[in-house]
Amino acid sequence: MKKPMLFFALLLVLASCVSGEPKPIQLNTDACDFCKMTISNGQYGAELITQKGRYYKFDDVACMIHFAKSNTVVPYKAFFVSDYLMANTLIPAEKSFFLQGGTINSPMHGNAIAFTSEKEAKDYQSKYKAALLTWKELYSSY
Amino acid sequence: MKNSLYIACCLFAFQLMMANTIHVGSHYPVKSIKKAIALAVDGDTVMVHKGLYREGNIVIYKKIAFLGKDYPVLDAQKKGEVLSVKADSVVVQGFKIINSGFAALDDPCGIKVYNKKFVQIYNNRLDNNFFGIYLQNCSNCIVKGNHIVSHGTQEQLIGNGVHCWKSDNLQIIANTISGHRDGIYFEFVTNSVIWRNISAQNIRYGLHFMFSNDDSYITNLFKNNGAGVAVMFSKEVKMINNTFEENWGDSAYGLLLKEIADGYIFNNKFVKNTSGIYMEGTSRMKVEKNDFISNGWGMKIQASCMDNEIVNNNYLKNTFDISTNGSLVLNTFNSNYWDKYEGYDLDKNGVGDVPYHPLSLFAVLTEKNASTMLLYRSFMITLLDKSEKVLPSITPDNFVDKTPLMKSLPL
Repeated sequence: MKKPMLFFALLLVLASCVSGEPKPIQLNTDACDFCKMTISNGQYGAELITQKGRYYKFDDVACMIHFAKSNTVVPYKAFFVSDYLMANTLIPAEKSFFLQGGTINSPMHGNAIAFTSEKEAKDYQSKYKAALLTWKELYSSY
Repeated sequence: MKNSLYIACCLFAFQLMMANTIHVGSHYPVKSIKKAIALAVDGDTVMVHKGLYREGNIVIYKKIAFLGKDYPVLDAQKKGEVLSVKADSVVVQGFKIINSGFAALDDPCGIKVYNKKFVQIYNNRLDNNFFGIYLQNCSNCIVKGNHIVSHGTQEQLIGNGVHCWKSDNLQIIANTISGHRDGIYFEFVTNSVIWRNISAQNIRYGLHFMFSNDDSYITNLFKNNGAGVAVMFSKEVKMINNTFEENWGDSAYGLLLKEIADGYIFNNKFVKNTSGIYMEGTSRMKVEKNDFISNGWGMKIQASCMDNEIVNNNYLKNTFDISTNGSLVLNTFNSNYWDKYEGYDLDKNGVGDVPYHPLSLFAVLTEKNASTMLLYRSFMITLLDKSEKVLPSITPDNFVDKTPLMKSLPL
């Protein structure tokens, strides 16, 4: 009786691995898969999941986009970015609102930050003198 | 001519007579540092005596010498910046500066210099600040003999020890830095020198270059950091006589070179690192007379590197001396000493008669598939390695040192 349960539990665990949920970035331990730098700031991080369920972590949104553009063969499943206001929390890139440029200073000078709501982004827009962008606009800007 | 010199001397003496010293302390009429700075004029000295000063953010906006006697403590009580320098030619010396604020949005520092020239920061002790010393848009400044400590844990957001941004002609000398994110961080800094510093136990790098050209770092010790030194997107960086020690970890390096060119790596010691040097997108570097001792990998040279010259180095007791990820070899190896070399020297000229292939089969295999490491030192692998030496098939055959040395160089 117990063994099938265990089997199902294992199956569940395995299934959850490819569910497209982001894996949290381990600050100061994980290295950026594009620039090889150790990721140490949870405000600018990003993560990419491929169709096969491989995870790639980045210290800057620009690194992720450069990485995605350099490997055109790989089918991507999802893009995640760190919420600027919540330390090291990953949110889906397509639903995020981005600020780029101005006085923003990110680790690899992509100089883009992400917010969950448009209101939050607008609150910071004047402070950083940055441009408000959608994910698509940001993706094509690098 | 003589007259004008005389007048100049007189003026100088006059200046000296006019310069006042304002004492601050519990036994002196002036009890507050802010009041003393308000009283001072350009050229004055503010001498702060021993004691605890909790005055929030202290701003120096006049050309003064700001000196501490017996390390008076400036405590910001975790609110904002401790000391802000907003005038040229300020000297800050002999303070204990503690507890700046920790913020994610603006970067509060122990000492921050804003867009100024000829500022000198000597012999201070900084403890538990977000950023230690921050030079923003400065030139001709000296940071010397400071002791910078922070107590960051892995998860916490923590700033850099000495952070220099968009600056020129700096001297960072004989500082001790630990517990910060990067010990020393150079971003858009040119024509500067980093000399005789000790950077240990920092969370990310001991020293980090980004977009900084024409700098050199000489005789520093980088020990036990997340990774030793990272030089990225920079040109003409000279790295001389440094020690890179015990930078262990999964993605740790003694020295990480990424997208750099025209540098010079001379007379350094790489001891007990996961990888001594990791090179990617690196070109026209000369690596000369370095010791690579007891590293996991002596050097990892990715196939994206070209025209690098690796000459007269010692490779001793490394698990792998060299590793690469492709078959393209555009770098040259000449006259190095390899302790794994098994050739002979019949003409006794000190140079081995048989060329040495430093890239072992197993190094190539582990680069492609890390779990092959399980088979390290197994009989099969040793056999394969030997046969590969005779007839190279997997390892690129132009990856070769044609003049390997028989004896290690005395470095």
